[in-house]
Amino acid sequence: MKTIARVLLILTLGAVPAWAVLGEYESSVSLDTQFMRGEDRVTSAQGYKLHQITSPTGAVVTEYVSPEGKVFGVSWRAPVIPNLEQLLGSYITPVQQAAQAQTRRRGGPFIVRAGDLVFVSGGHMRAFRGSAYVPSLLPKNVSAEVVR
Amino acid sequence: MTLQRHSVVPLARLLAVVGGLIFLASCGGSSSSTPINPPPPPTTNNSIDLSVNLGPTAPTTDYFNGLFASVEVCEPGSTTNCTTVPNVLVDTGSYGLRLLSGAVSGLSLPAVTDSGGNAVQECIGFISLAYIWGPVVQADIHLSGESASSASVHIISESPQYSVPSSCIPTGPVGTPEDLNSVSALGANGILGLGGFPQDCGSACADASTAPAQYYSCPSGNCNITAVPTTSTKGQVWNPVALFPQDNNGVLISLLSVPAGGAATDSGSLIFGIGTQTNNALGSVQIYGVSDQAYFTTTYNGTQFSNSFIDSGSNAYYFLDSGALGGIECADYQGWYCPGSPLSITVTNTGTNGTTGSVTFTIENTDSLFNTGFAAFNDLGGDSGDSLSTDYFDFGVPFFLGRNVFVGIAGQTVTGVSNVPYGFWAY
Repeated sequence: MKTIARVLLILTLGAVPAWAVLGEYESSVSLDTQFMRGEDRVTSAQGYKLHQITSPTGAVVTEYVSPEGKVFGVSWRAPVIPNLEQLLGSYITPVQQAAQAQTRRRGGPFIVRAGDLVFVSGGHMRAFRGSAYVPSLLPKNVSAEVVR
Repeated sequence: MTLQRHSVVPLARLLAVVGGLIFLASCGGSSSSTPINPPPPPTTNNSIDLSVNLGPTAPTTDYFNGLFASVEVCEPGSTTNCTTVPNVLVDTGSYGLRLLSGAVSGLSLPAVTDSGGNAVQECIGFISLAYIWGPVVQADIHLSGESASSASVHIISESPQYSVPSSCIPTGPVGTPEDLNSVSALGANGILGLGGFPQDCGSACADASTAPAQYYSCPSGNCNITAVPTTSTKGQVWNPVALFPQDNNGVLISLLSVPAGGAATDSGSLIFGIGTQTNNALGSVQIYGVSDQAYFTTTYNGTQFSNSFIDSGSNAYYFLDSGALGGIECADYQGWYCPGSPLSITVTNTGTNGTTGSVTFTIENTDSLFNTGFAAFNDLGGDSGDSLSTDYFDFGVPFFLGRNVFVGIAGQTVTGVSNVPYGFWAY
């Protein structure tokens, strides 16, 4: 039983990075397009690259990739909030913790600055928007403000 | 004409008694000259009371700047099997009526079903990454003399029949996402969504190939996304105002002003219809058209924030970020502003129809405001983003205090208003 439990645990944990994007290598973007059934449009900017994935539901997810091939930021515009575990990977943990610690702010934007993550969730029903980036992964001479 | 403010009434009576001596002073207000022939009384009672108070969970959990009303719902077609739900949050940032299951447990409300005959369930995620979940049912909604018959209403299940699908939880299936399916978590008995769209999703949810994670059905217990039409009955959840036979083109929210530093409570009126009766004329307000996503542009210090909006479901002015304001975040309350002295902010709002106008408001120290124990503040503020690239302006309840604010519903006709295909704000 113990062996089975360990194997299941590994499989479960193993599934998370498969969907993860933020902080992962660019190859994980293709998994995102599969998951979102979306079209991926790649464009280049000064010092980084963007994948813009548009899903049939109208969600637009943009993933920001450094010259080293790592996703340093993600952003979304969507009719419902996208699955953030898929977009943030291991960076979801501080967001989950902060989501359960909210008090007194009601109906306002949700902002998390935790360790090596900056996360913003905002907008309103039918038009959600948000972004997340990892400061330590920002490419040289690229401002965090490009993630929007 | 300008609506008469409740607080003015005693003064007006006094002036009437004192007589002509003060007549000139009374003409100094914003109301225009007295009409020679008084207009006919309203044909339908179209006004309900609003209250700003600490909400049904106080004092355990105070809901600062919570805007609440009572809503009557009945079994479809019944005038006796009805219940009045108090403390429903009035939210211009969403669309449709959502009630906790416990608030309507005495009623038998028929399920809305999808094309496969399965009961429709709905999941709504909030920007706080919390969510609500439960079935969509039919009910007659009564608000004063106005009725939305057999309207789709979202029931927020306190003991859900089906597990919430992981696809609709913003934080995903890992961890313990925050559900708001209780009065203690929601801070209200429900949400009355009166924003400028008729439905809470629109055409995307009507087609299985484009439907986002919002409407579900659960044949054999497994919940999957399902298509739900935009029809006014047996379809998506509608802003009930758009379902009224009359006074259905929007609402007017009129709340009394409060002094700097707040008031224990505040009150006012929610009036249905725009330009349809004597009590909801636009008068001299300006019309700000919104985008297809219900945003307009706010400009501050030369920077444009094109994703700004007015939202009675937000309990503060949420705008800019602490860094942009010189570092004024409270030491104890993360995300709230604690300026050392009152901070005046002036912005310009621009509608999609080209209307521009300035708004000035003041932010005071959140610590001091919370310490009053009051509920209603016109000077409560917090951050909206992390930098100018993610910031925006969310004009919450403080904006409404002491103003008449109209919400025009997309696609509806308002006399004298044009070029606003996605609805408008007017104030």
